[in-house]
Parts: sequence; C-alpha cells; structure tokens
Amino acid sequence: MIRVQNLTKRFLSHTAVDGISFEVEEGEIVGFLGPNGAGKTTTLRILTTFLSATSGTATVAGCDIFSQSLELRRKIGYMPENVPLYTDMRVKEYLRFRAALHRITGRPARVKVGEVLDICGLKDVRKKIIGTLSKGYRQRVGLADALIHNPELLILDEPTNGLDPNQIRQARDLIKRLGESHTILLSTHILPEVEMTCGRVIIIDQGRIRASDTPANLVGKLRTARTVSVELKADAETAAKALTGIQGVRKLIRQDPVNGWTSFILRVESQADIREDVFNVALENRWPVRELSQKTPSLEDVFVDLTQPVAEA
Amino acid sequence: MRVFFILLRKELRSYFFSPLAYVIMAFLMILNGVPFVLSLIAMQAGERQHSLVYFTFNSGWFWMAYLLLFPIITMRLFSEEQKMGTIESLLTAPVRSVQFVLAKYFAAFVFYCFLWLPSLANFLVFEAIGDEAASFSTGSFYGSYLLLVVMGCFYLAIGCLASSMTSNQILASIIAFSIILLHFIFGFVHFFSTRMPAEVMERVTYTSSYEHMRIFSDGLLDSRPLVYYLTSAILLLIATHQVLEYRRWRV
Repeated sequence: MIRVQNLTKRFLSHTAVDGISFEVEEGEIVGFLGPNGAGKTTTLRILTTFLSATSGTATVAGCDIFSQSLELRRKIGYMPENVPLYTDMRVKEYLRFRAALHRITGRPARVKVGEVLDICGLKDVRKKIIGTLSKGYRQRVGLADALIHNPELLILDEPTNGLDPNQIRQARDLIKRLGESHTILLSTHILPEVEMTCGRVIIIDQGRIRASDTPANLVGKLRTARTVSVELKADAETAAKALTGIQGVRKLIRQDPVNGWTSFILRVESQADIREDVFNVALENRWPVRELSQKTPSLEDVFVDLTQPVAEA
Repeated sequence: MRVFFILLRKELRSYFFSPLAYVIMAFLMILNGVPFVLSLIAMQAGERQHSLVYFTFNSGWFWMAYLLLFPIITMRLFSEEQKMGTIESLLTAPVRSVQFVLAKYFAAFVFYCFLWLPSLANFLVFEAIGDEAASFSTGSFYGSYLLLVVMGCFYLAIGCLASSMTSNQILASIIAFSIILLHFIFGFVHFFSTRMPAEVMERVTYTSSYEHMRIFSDGLLDSRPLVYYLTSAILLLIATHQVLEYRRWRV
C-alpha cells in the first residue's frame, strides 16, 4: 500500500527526514513511533503530498507522490496533527463540504455522512458548531472527515494527542475497528497505544528509521538483552572500567554519583545472568553494594534505547 | 470546475455568515452616504459642471473608505487557513491549488460587488424621486460602476497576495494596505514634482486610480485602465498561486 524509497526532506538548516525506506502492506496497522521532532509529521506530509520531498520516491495506494498527487489524494484519508477544522461550520455541514470535495454529493453524501457520524459517535453533536466542541469530539470529526470518501488507506497523525484516558481508549478501539477494513498508518509517541493497536512498529528518530518490527519482536529482541542496574560506593571511573570488563556487558550507562554512591546500568548482550559476576567484582574491590537488580525491558525501553542519546562511559 | 464552485460556496458562506460582512457594509454606507449628501447640498447651491455621481466618487470620503476596504476583505483569505492549519486538510483533499486560489479570489470579488449595492440604491432612489436629469448622467453612472468593479479586481488581487504571504492576518492587512496606498499615492507624484517631464507625467497618470475615476465618472470610458487593472490582477493572482506552491517546495 505504501512504498517509500530513500525519502529525504531537507529544510534549510537541518535534515528532517534522512533517506528513509519502508513499506506498508495492505491490511496492516502500522505505528510510526518517534520522539517529538523525529520527522514523523514531515514524512506523513510528504506521503499525503502536502510537502514535496527533497529526494527519493514513494508510492501510496499505487500512486506516485509527485506525478499522481491528485489521484493519490482521492484514495487516502488523512487526519493532520492537531486536527485543523473550520471552526465556524457545523459538524454535519463540514462533513457534507468535505464529501463534496471528494465528489460525493446528493443522496450518497447524505447516506455517507450519516454513516461516518454513526461510526465516530458524532450523532448527538452533528448540529453543533465545530468551534464549540471539545477536543475529543474534534478529533472524532477529523476521523469522520478522513473516512468520508471510503479511502483504502488511513494516515493519522497523532490521533490520540490531547485526549483524556477514556477518550484515548475509545479512539484506540475505533482505530482497531477501522483496521479491520482499512490499511492504517498512524504516528504517535504514546507507547501503549502502539502496543495495543499496531501490528507493526516503525521507530524513527532524527529522520532515520531505527527499527521496524512487530511490537512483540521488538520487545523480544531486547528481552534477550536484559539490563542490570547496580549501585556502588566506589570511584566512578575505576568502577566503570571494572564493570565494562565483565563478559557479556554490551553497554554501560553511568549516572552522576550522589554522596559517593554511583548507579550503573549495564546492558547485557547474551542471555547470561551477570549478577553474580557483578557481585564478585564488587567483592574483589571491597565496594559496598546498595542495589543489584535485573530488568526485562518494555517497549518503552526499546523506544528510549533507540531514540535517546545516552552518555556512555 | 465543480470543486471550484464547492469552495466558492464555502467561502461566500463564511463571508456572509460572519458579522464582519455587515459591519463593513454599514461602514461603507456611512462613508459613501456622507459625500452623497454633501454633493446634494453643493448642487442645491447652484449650477455645477459635473454630475452627482462624479461628486460622490471623487470625494476624499470615498477614497478613504475605498482604500481601507480591501485589506479588511482580503486579510483572512489565506492567512486564516495557514494559521488554523486547515490549508493542510484542504490541500491533501483532491483540490488543486489553482482552484483554491480562484475560489478565494472570486468569493472576495462577489462580496466586494455586493458591498456596492447600497450605494447603487442611493443613486437609483434619487433618480426615481427627483427629476434632475442633469445631475444624474447615464455615462458617468455606468462608467463609475464599471471602474469600481475592474479596479476592485486589481486591489483584491493585491490583498490576496498579501494574505498568502503570512499566517498573521494583521500583518497581511498592513502589507496589503501599504501596497494599495503606495499605488494610489504614486498617481499623485506629478503634483509633488513640478520639474517632471511631460512624458513621464503621462506614464504616471496611466496608473493613477484617482485619475481613472475622474475620467470614468465623467462618463468617458477608456480601455487602457481596464486592460491595466485586469492584466495586473491576473499577474498578482499568478504570484499568489506561486507563493502558495512555494510552501510545498520550501527548503
């Protein structure tokens, strides 16, 4: 449904999207995950032809983003970030207007508008002026707008941004339901959302793709690589050196010492349990140990691990 | 074409459903009513060389209202869409940016023409109840309104361009007003400089809105200003389109 090859978008001072390639197959729900400013919105804007790419190509729903932009726009439903709407229009009127832009008028439009009002739970507010609606309802109007012309593909930019927990749950259920009949590409920085709704996750940071897999696999990959955290009373430099020397330690993150106590987080490559080795190192050097524990990671850890620049010792 | 009309309808709707339309209309009625009444009083005093229409459309009152009108009408056209982000949902729907620009422009144009209906009524009512044929000449009447429409095309296009350049409505109105005012004042340059050669002066009066109105409201229809305003309007609209397209290709 979506094929992206080496897509790059350069703004004057920085590169927002840096040569990314990915594919989304028909029927998938793919989560586009990344911290703020990672290039998610820029990528989605390029795919929906709102921006042009600096280089690279992409086809969306079988249409090239450069040469077939108008056909492309007929086939996708896009909900932009922060859901821009005409605040002086009534809900139903707005949806009729959007349907008309997609050449749906008259009776089919009436039927279709009724349908999306139903799906998105907007029946009660259909006569209200959009400007008076709460954030949750506006989000639903945005979604109804994206659905109005029966698109094959839905592109949703942060669909649950700014909603309260109940609304997030409702939105998530709605997206899941829509996923049964649509291909969906959604962007978010809320992790549980992705874990619950998406079949696949693409993690993007600083304009590059860091990982692309199912949520379970991503977590699984890290789960074999556990982290051990240890808090010692020792000179940070020597302790770091000694701990890095332990077999199986892939990465060591050192925190600033507090009252002589220094915390280390050790990322371990293999399935081996190194807690015993850590204890032995501490014993040899006669370093008091205050904490020693092992953690298996969540998707959040995967996210942080892939996207956060950490100070390495 | 259908998309154009759908957008046009939406734009007109947002013009006429907002109180702004009626405030502007009232404002214009007052500022046009004053010169109308003053001309009537002046004409009572004695014989005049020009018609009532001429006096009305060549007064300072008229020009003050007229030049202020365009920034107010056009400032929100593109600025608002950019500020609210609705330009994103609109241009990711199957809408060409040409249709987008033209729909906005023609909506402003229709609204602008609508605003002149009360002033039209002034003259028609006067003609109906008074029998002063000399004060109301057909040529000056049609000439003035023809020029109003055509000159409006040009000034509205300036407003469109200004509005497309920024997402700040206030800024857009200031830009539009500055350009419009400069263009208007440029037509008076020959008053300030006495040493200006005759052929330069002729060129300057070619662009002078004040001069055009003077000629047209005397019933003298000249094709040159019409060509000037219409071609300039087209040029400005092309520029507006380019500015909006630039957003897509911006680096």
